[in-house]
Amino acid sequence: MAAYEDLAKAIAAKQKQILDIWLERTLNSYRSPGFFIKSQDLFANPVGMQVRSGLAAVFELLCEEANQEAFARPLDQVVRIRAVQDFSASQAVVPFLELKWVVKEVLGADAQSGPLAGQLNEFDCAVERVALMAFDLYCRCREQLYLNRIHELKSGRAMFTDGGCPSRLLDADAQQGADREQ
Amino acid sequence: MAVVKVDKLAQSVAQGPSLMTGAYPNKPWMEVPAVFKPGNYAYPTKADKLEYLNNQQGVSFPNAREWNPEDEDWKLPENWKEIILQGLADRLDRFRSLKIFMDCCVRCGACSDKCHFFLGTGDPKNMPVLRAELLRSVYRNDFTLAGKILGKLAGGREMTVGVLKEWFMYAYQCTECRRCSVFCPYGIDTAEITMMLRELLHLVGIGINWAMEPVANSNRTGNHMGLTPQAFKGNVDFLCEDVENLTGVKVNPTFNRKGAEVLFITPSADVFAEPGIFTCMGYLLLFEAIGLDYTWSTYASEGGNFGLFTSNEMMKKLNAKMYAEAKRLGVKWILGGECGHMWRVIHQYMDTMNGPTDFLEVPKSPITGTVFDNAKSTKMVHISEFTADLIKNGKIKLDPSRNSHIVPTFHDSCNPARAMGLLDEPRYILDHVVEKWYEMPENTIRERTFCCGSGTALNTDEIMELRMRSGLPRANAVKYVHEKHGVNTLGCVCAIDRATLSTLMSYWVPEVEVAGLSELVGNALVIEGEQRQELTEGLRTLV
Repeated sequence: MAAYEDLAKAIAAKQKQILDIWLERTLNSYRSPGFFIKSQDLFANPVGMQVRSGLAAVFELLCEEANQEAFARPLDQVVRIRAVQDFSASQAVVPFLELKWVVKEVLGADAQSGPLAGQLNEFDCAVERVALMAFDLYCRCREQLYLNRIHELKSGRAMFTDGGCPSRLLDADAQQGADREQ
Repeated sequence: MAVVKVDKLAQSVAQGPSLMTGAYPNKPWMEVPAVFKPGNYAYPTKADKLEYLNNQQGVSFPNAREWNPEDEDWKLPENWKEIILQGLADRLDRFRSLKIFMDCCVRCGACSDKCHFFLGTGDPKNMPVLRAELLRSVYRNDFTLAGKILGKLAGGREMTVGVLKEWFMYAYQCTECRRCSVFCPYGIDTAEITMMLRELLHLVGIGINWAMEPVANSNRTGNHMGLTPQAFKGNVDFLCEDVENLTGVKVNPTFNRKGAEVLFITPSADVFAEPGIFTCMGYLLLFEAIGLDYTWSTYASEGGNFGLFTSNEMMKKLNAKMYAEAKRLGVKWILGGECGHMWRVIHQYMDTMNGPTDFLEVPKSPITGTVFDNAKSTKMVHISEFTADLIKNGKIKLDPSRNSHIVPTFHDSCNPARAMGLLDEPRYILDHVVEKWYEMPENTIRERTFCCGSGTALNTDEIMELRMRSGLPRANAVKYVHEKHGVNTLGCVCAIDRATLSTLMSYWVPEVEVAGLSELVGNALVIEGEQRQELTEGLRTLV
């Protein structure tokens, strides 16, 4: 059942403006965001373009009041990147909550006190559900990172360093042999 | 000369109330200090490893000690600044290229958005121009007239402990992949600037263990792992048993055999770690199929040369052992396996370090008679060149349907692609060993290939996040061909790639596995008298 149909129509009409501001604020979380915002090449600018298309898809799904599962893919597209960058957990998922501010900013007085105001709570709630889902995905990404670390350690390559060299095992054998002879 | 935009590059603008904390400083880059915290730096060299290396002939690695990058005090020698500036002076004098690179950059910005570290982090100090500026600013301050007089106004800055820490941070956020150099109109090799930064840092005892322990092991036993001759041979013997179980073909490699025609050298990872061992099984089968008169060496038992990531002297020393062994065994030429940076050392540095190799012959394939004139100087042929030549001359029988479970794409490993121009041979091999394969997008392959993100000894687990973000541009292109064409395998010709791309894929595109090209050759190879089992996963099949 549509909970914020009128509001969804109003924000869909201002899609470009909302997305532009949302994207810029999100990408401004990087130290040098100019290239990420400007370049439109999917392969030359993976962060900028993946975040761009991820946010756009999330926005569209919100306008459609889509099922929660439908958000997983575009959210993952954004969160998987931010989960390995220099962000705290909260800052990795905060762009999704930022959408609330952007929408209010763009709709202006209409959203605060006009006829759409009644639906704003419903929309905010939908955005928050999305942000919480992003947090779950973030946790899964971090877990995957640690699993990767464990996997690498188990793969034997850690013997490069931490385990000392296999030849040392032979030393131990030789020492035991010498001890036995004595 | 272009206007210096470097200061502006580092500033971002935030407007309006925001939940974003603005964690990033809004200051000129020179005023942003490097902050070390768990996960953003590789562990420093263990004191005993450095001490061992410092006692070796021809190399110098002073100031062995226990230290922690997160501490304020890095336990530097008292006269550290003098050592660094004198070290820079020496190198400006010895390496004309360094002097030119310091002077000729016009900061046009062509390189700035080409580095995978910048593309993955958005950190301006990962723009190659700015990474070089970390050194160049000190050069300007102390070695140019303008800098001596005008200081900061001329882009100079004094060498301080803070600058030294910044060098350590960013010299180890560069994999020396040289993608930026492809786009530089002046041909500045930023990798060589990173190499100089790392050399200078070693003068005061700053380095990472993942580079130095393999170097120490290589120096001692001939390979990164520190495998003894017995262990090395034992591992290859295990693989021979596996090959026989899978294919019914008995392979009998020899070791340290004097008088063999060819010495075969490959990364030691190929003989002990997945997925490299499958590549190694491919080599063994191929050599058996053509009856190659070759030997392994348990002394030159490593293709990799982490000396390249350490210092000129160390690189020279580790490279020399391959040629010393070739001379000792009296072989005619050397065949090299699927290694990355070994080929950069061979093609760019070997000749002036340890050449000329007048005791070897110009490589000639005993099977096809092809003379590898391109290797006239180094006497070392790449396995892909060798295999492609066998295929072209119809000397091996291949059945691509044996690879029907594999839909590959090809990752041009940075060093073979950019440092030796090995672009078409691997593709020619793929054309013949699989039914269908797909290229990744144009600006991510061949000379413009994206690095795995973990080269130059950065393939250590404590910096996993850093590796995942720097590998994003490569993974992003793989994901594209996976979704568009159903690609499930990333082929490559580098041992570091085989190890690190496997981890990279498991984070970004878990449906894609990584395989050396020779593994795919081994899968497809039809050998007379074989009794091959039903190998639904090729040489990886568990029987």
